[in-house]
Amino acid sequence: MTAQPPVTALSRAIADPTPVDGLAARSPMAGLDRRSLGFVDVLAQSVGAVAPSAAAATCPVLVAARAGSGTLLAFLLAGVLMALVAYAVNQFTRRMAATGSLYTFAARGLGVRAGFATSAAMIVGYGFVAMFALLGAAYYGLTLLAHAVPAVPGSRGLVLLLLAGFGAVCLLVLWRGIRLSTRVTLVIELLSIVGILVLIVVLLVRVPGSSFAAVALPRSVGIPELAAGTTVAVTAFVGFESAATLGVESRRPFATIPRTIRWTVIAAGLLYLLSAYTQLAGFEALGGDLVASDSPVNDLAARAGVEWIGLLLDAALACSFLACALASTTALARVLFSLGREGIAPRALGRTHRRFRTPHVALAVGVAVEVAVPAVLVLAGMGAWQAMGVVVVCAAAGYMTAYALVCVATPFFLRRIGELTVGPAVAAAVAAAGLVAALALDLWLEVTGDRALAVLLLAGVAAVAFTLWAVCRRRRPDALRRIGLYDEPTMGDVLGGAP
Amino acid sequence: MNAIPELSGRQPGAVHSAFAVLEEVARAGPGITAQQLSARLGLPRATAYRILNLLVQDEYLVRMPDLRGFALGRKVAELADVAQAQDAAATAREAVADLRGRIRGGVHLAVYRDDRVVPVDVDPDFPLSDPKRIQSDLSVSALGRLLLAEQAARAVPSPTRFTTQEGELVPGFGCLAVPVRGDDQRLVAGLALALPAARLADRDGLVSLVADTAVRLGPLLSRV
Repeated sequence: MTAQPPVTALSRAIADPTPVDGLAARSPMAGLDRRSLGFVDVLAQSVGAVAPSAAAATCPVLVAARAGSGTLLAFLLAGVLMALVAYAVNQFTRRMAATGSLYTFAARGLGVRAGFATSAAMIVGYGFVAMFALLGAAYYGLTLLAHAVPAVPGSRGLVLLLLAGFGAVCLLVLWRGIRLSTRVTLVIELLSIVGILVLIVVLLVRVPGSSFAAVALPRSVGIPELAAGTTVAVTAFVGFESAATLGVESRRPFATIPRTIRWTVIAAGLLYLLSAYTQLAGFEALGGDLVASDSPVNDLAARAGVEWIGLLLDAALACSFLACALASTTALARVLFSLGREGIAPRALGRTHRRFRTPHVALAVGVAVEVAVPAVLVLAGMGAWQAMGVVVVCAAAGYMTAYALVCVATPFFLRRIGELTVGPAVAAAVAAAGLVAALALDLWLEVTGDRALAVLLLAGVAAVAFTLWAVCRRRRPDALRRIGLYDEPTMGDVLGGAP
Repeated sequence: MNAIPELSGRQPGAVHSAFAVLEEVARAGPGITAQQLSARLGLPRATAYRILNLLVQDEYLVRMPDLRGFALGRKVAELADVAQAQDAAATAREAVADLRGRIRGGVHLAVYRDDRVVPVDVDPDFPLSDPKRIQSDLSVSALGRLLLAEQAARAVPSPTRFTTQEGELVPGFGCLAVPVRGDDQRLVAGLALALPAARLADRDGLVSLVADTAVRLGPLLSRV
């Protein structure tokens, strides 16, 4: 005989459930394809938005340009910072499924004003990363073409054509349904990660060994420079939280989304450290300057005598950037959709396509802006690579602001629901302090440097956001009070909720 | 992804706590908060929150719209299904044991799953002579022949009242099997008597001996 567990109240509740009051029959997020995505699709969203292969190939040179010998340290700091942010964000994703993701979380912890600010920061983050990705796809697409037609890269018309073309592809795929886009994203991204890893292995084998200490340890790096490097390294990670925007659409969201967010940060961090080390060691051993190189990975491949890998990699990176554009646009559209549902943004943005169940209006608006801004930059005389350097600063600022606000909101949210413990509070506080310090130092450096345009753009966006806030407060105070809507449990979810 | 993680030495305690939490939510009714739960159960707060979040992940609990309170999730009803299935299996074992007490010979119970014979209650005093062959070749055993007859029949239930085999597996011994049918008359299991070949002659007598038990088993096994 085994002892029977005392499940009397439980079995009574199952046999004759108590009616549960206070639940709606429909979720405020109804219309989306609720509870339809499995773990793989959610993972694809985060991996796609991070675009680890594109970041592993392009970010080390951007970081090295700022942090110099502190490059690896900057990546390490960024990784730790992002792991802390992920921990804080997961305090929310384990408790609520929200299409608005970070801004919904911030609103739940700090109230309306913080929620609005976070939504603006997210739109800047997702929007500018999508621009960065479209530019990147165009840039590597041209590099690929240049293998056949050497005169191509200088052509401004072709850059514009590719921008518009890739934008159209994004809109088409995303309009048709979320599942197709996540699957396409994941396959593309996995292929390009394999490409990067092959190159890393080949380089590590072929290149004469240089001392680990000479490459990895920082020598005479200023704190602002290290902060600027860390900020750019952070952009390599950003997007990991975007799985949260699929909270409504994923099955078992409270298990899947925290897991996705955690492992995306860890895996991406390892890949970046490996890639950055390889590129630094490669240039150290083969001679030359990493910072002076436009396409460091191709240069390294050519010098190591494996130019064909460079060719393969151009294709892979163009694809990876396209995947990143897809995922960032997905997230951007979900944020706009959520704002539309709450009535803060125009209501039309909150509409869903009847057949494909996608937020199609938000998608169209998002893609139009993502193509227009880089097109203007290119028309103003910038090369694709140069324009990427500008928009990535804006993207970083947007993301880091949103992250910082969510981290500040974490302990307040947990206290409000009566579940505050020491661990999450400390992690969130450290992360918020780190983010604010890194971002402030970085922007100060950019103002005085050659990317002042980025700071100008940011100031412009901030001014627009303030104006919208003022307008909303006067014209739509009810909508603002609704900020923070999420996928509440419906009658069908609880025992005793529906007959 | 969905594999159950291996239980470590500490986790059985967590399972116990999880049931205690579910029980307490059921007793208190919808809306009880994490703090109230940890206080009432005497659980450390961090432990209580972790267990609550795990139960929410697996959808046994649902967070109410205020995000503070909890209610039982619809999935909890599945626990009741499991409990009922276990009760049914225990009752079925008792019925077979009861039959064994009344018959001088082996009594075996096998269920049919995906067109295979799966022995679930083999007579401990008369082990199956060749379990592998019984599973691989449906035509050698009475239990297998029952399944073949059902597959060949056009109508459900098939007119087959019983099947037999003599000397196919062990010379001088044979078997008689009767169908066990579920609520929808589907063949769910077979009840077999293993006897010396000589005693298989009185088939109608043997069938009437086990018929009651087969009828009793039907609804019990169709639930498993």
